[in-house]
Amino acid sequence: MSKTDWLMPLQHILNSPIQLKTRTVQEWETFVQEADAKWQPDKSEALAPGTRIEKAESSTWFIAGRQKQELSVLEIADTSLTTKEKDLISWTLYMTVRNPPAKPNANISDSERFAERLSEWLQQQLDSDEPAYSLPDHLTVGSRLYYDMIPFLLITEQTTTTKAAAYTELEKLLKSFLSEDILLIPLKSQEWLIWGPMALLRDEDAEPYDATEEESMEDSLASITSGLHEMLASEWLGECHLAVGLPVTPSKGMVEVTMLLRETINLGRKFHVGTNIHLPWMLQLERLLNTIPESYRAKYLEQSLKRADLFVEPEMLATLETFFSLDCNVSETAKRLYIHRNTLLYRLDKLKQETGLDVRQFRDAVLVKIILLLYKVTKRN
Amino acid sequence: MAGVRLEGIYKKYPGSDKASVTDVNLDIKDKEFLVLVGPSGCGKSTTLRMIAGLEEISEGKLFIGDRLVNDVAPKDRDIAMVFQSYALYPHMNVYQNMAFGLKLRKFKKADIDKRVREAAKILDIEHLLDRKPKALSGGQRQRVALGRAIVREPQVFLMDEPLSNLDAKLRGQMRAEISKLTKRLETTTIYVTHDQIEAMTMGDRIVVMKDGFIQQTASPEELYNHPVNIFVAGFIGAPSMNFVTGSLSEQGGAVKFKASGVDVVVPEGKAATLRSKGYIGKEVILGIRPEDIHEEPVFLEASPGTIVNANVEVAENLGHEMYLYLNGIGNDTVIARVDGRSAIRDGASVKLALDMNKVHLFDKESELNIFES
Repeated sequence: MSKTDWLMPLQHILNSPIQLKTRTVQEWETFVQEADAKWQPDKSEALAPGTRIEKAESSTWFIAGRQKQELSVLEIADTSLTTKEKDLISWTLYMTVRNPPAKPNANISDSERFAERLSEWLQQQLDSDEPAYSLPDHLTVGSRLYYDMIPFLLITEQTTTTKAAAYTELEKLLKSFLSEDILLIPLKSQEWLIWGPMALLRDEDAEPYDATEEESMEDSLASITSGLHEMLASEWLGECHLAVGLPVTPSKGMVEVTMLLRETINLGRKFHVGTNIHLPWMLQLERLLNTIPESYRAKYLEQSLKRADLFVEPEMLATLETFFSLDCNVSETAKRLYIHRNTLLYRLDKLKQETGLDVRQFRDAVLVKIILLLYKVTKRN
Repeated sequence: MAGVRLEGIYKKYPGSDKASVTDVNLDIKDKEFLVLVGPSGCGKSTTLRMIAGLEEISEGKLFIGDRLVNDVAPKDRDIAMVFQSYALYPHMNVYQNMAFGLKLRKFKKADIDKRVREAAKILDIEHLLDRKPKALSGGQRQRVALGRAIVREPQVFLMDEPLSNLDAKLRGQMRAEISKLTKRLETTTIYVTHDQIEAMTMGDRIVVMKDGFIQQTASPEELYNHPVNIFVAGFIGAPSMNFVTGSLSEQGGAVKFKASGVDVVVPEGKAATLRSKGYIGKEVILGIRPEDIHEEPVFLEASPGTIVNANVEVAENLGHEMYLYLNGIGNDTVIARVDGRSAIRDGASVKLALDMNKVHLFDKESELNIFES
């Protein structure tokens, strides 16, 4: 902000004419001798910005800056200014001139500069109706973007640090947690695309505890994402939403995967409130249902539910969600819910009696699952 | 170490007109083990997550020690968390999992090593330090999650159902170990569970919550013996307290409680309170714990005014004790806990004595314990 930018607003606030004049140091010293009062914010420096002299029944002068033997002097004619107002002006001039706001991007690292260029390009593509899906050459030259990497999308809700500080801090944290080979791209405010190396998935030296269970790539990605979420929640800013995609080559798949992960987080937050880790391969049905117009959903719900209130009961909702998450296994569900198997069977029978739907039958289970998902996101009368 | 103080804490989610947590006031003392317990959706986890900094506080003040921490990020609150869905860092071995938080805080290598090895020794996982989480059993993973919290030497431990993913046997074992551990480390601990046995066995004090409100805060004994309302009375204790709706009347100078199949005398101490509070002639709910219903002849002879007749629907013998599921006392099934050597069998007609000195009476409208309010 140049000096003249603040003259008009200040004049408006004080409701008094203000002039910014250039005076020599010699002239100022003469004024000092004639002044009725003098005040300086920095006692060790007689010509520090904010220093002021006052002439009773005349005006107050403030030093607003200095260039060798010349001073910028702010002259306010209003004699009715209170001491507090004068102190405030002095202090503001002192702080502003002494600590000018840092120029944006003055001290950013090479990796952040590169990430910002990638971000700019990526956001243009995401906003475009006809996005280019491959990165242009000038953004891939000499980089590792031609190899497969693991994409994560991170969305935070806290706003306690500035973006610049957050980038450096987050990049450092991710490097020490995941690997030096990560790439962090800032997107919208509080939204970050993280690329992790494939080495995170290779774990030759670990023999699984349960040798009969072979871990799929999706399982590995889910467990890395859980670990990353736990670390970010406890070691960074607190709660955040995280989505992960299957590995892709950034130079080819960056736009597409960002779109997918954004959609994944939106769907996850909409259909599964309270969940913070969102996996695209677990949200296929939600993706499909989300495309159905609101009025159709409401109509379908109205027709399918004989007793809608049963689905509002937290106990029934929790029971069904656990039952479905455990592949309709009665024993496992009872165990997870800490209830007797017969209690669970009683609840399922009650549902059957009231709605005509028996979730132990595949056909009805599918219907109830769809009804539950629709119920969460559909406005009802 | 430090205490934790919650002053008028509320949690309201955007778009919801009802608060999930309402006016929670708690003063948790330094080194105390406090348990938040209640059914699912009661606000216990939300309260803990607000203390952790994972949920914003909608209203009220939260102090850790003397520091107001409403706007302090979780990492700067000097707390360590172990949650139900704890996730170990899968790409790091056990040692690295435990050391990571310290490394971030720029601890010296030697100091990190000392803390990790000490914690591993306490948790008996020294032999697992080189293993990756994938190669650990559920119980071992749980210990690593605890180890990760211990090495930080935080002011406060926050635990949210940390044992719920373990099987019953391991859960019992870990329950005792956590209690031992927090006593040894002398760290203030706030522990969330839905399991009243965990609450009763671990907590110095227990906070019972329902629908976002604190129902009662008290020691386990106080909570068990002096519940302030029907909810607390029914929630604490397994099998639960039995409830029988009936009315109070005065007959020949004695106050009597009458319900279907029940006509018993209320002891004079309790009767005086009932008279002074104007409950004679009114309907109340009687609460009696299963162990306060007796079949022993000596008890029946000593208290003839408290005898009821009942039919045994089922007699469940657990060896050291027996649960009798009884019909004929009020309108619902009543459970009695008697000695495992009892000769009572299914279908028997029995005479039982209610220990009227131990019963609770609740106001039918407010559901408050008449003797505790």
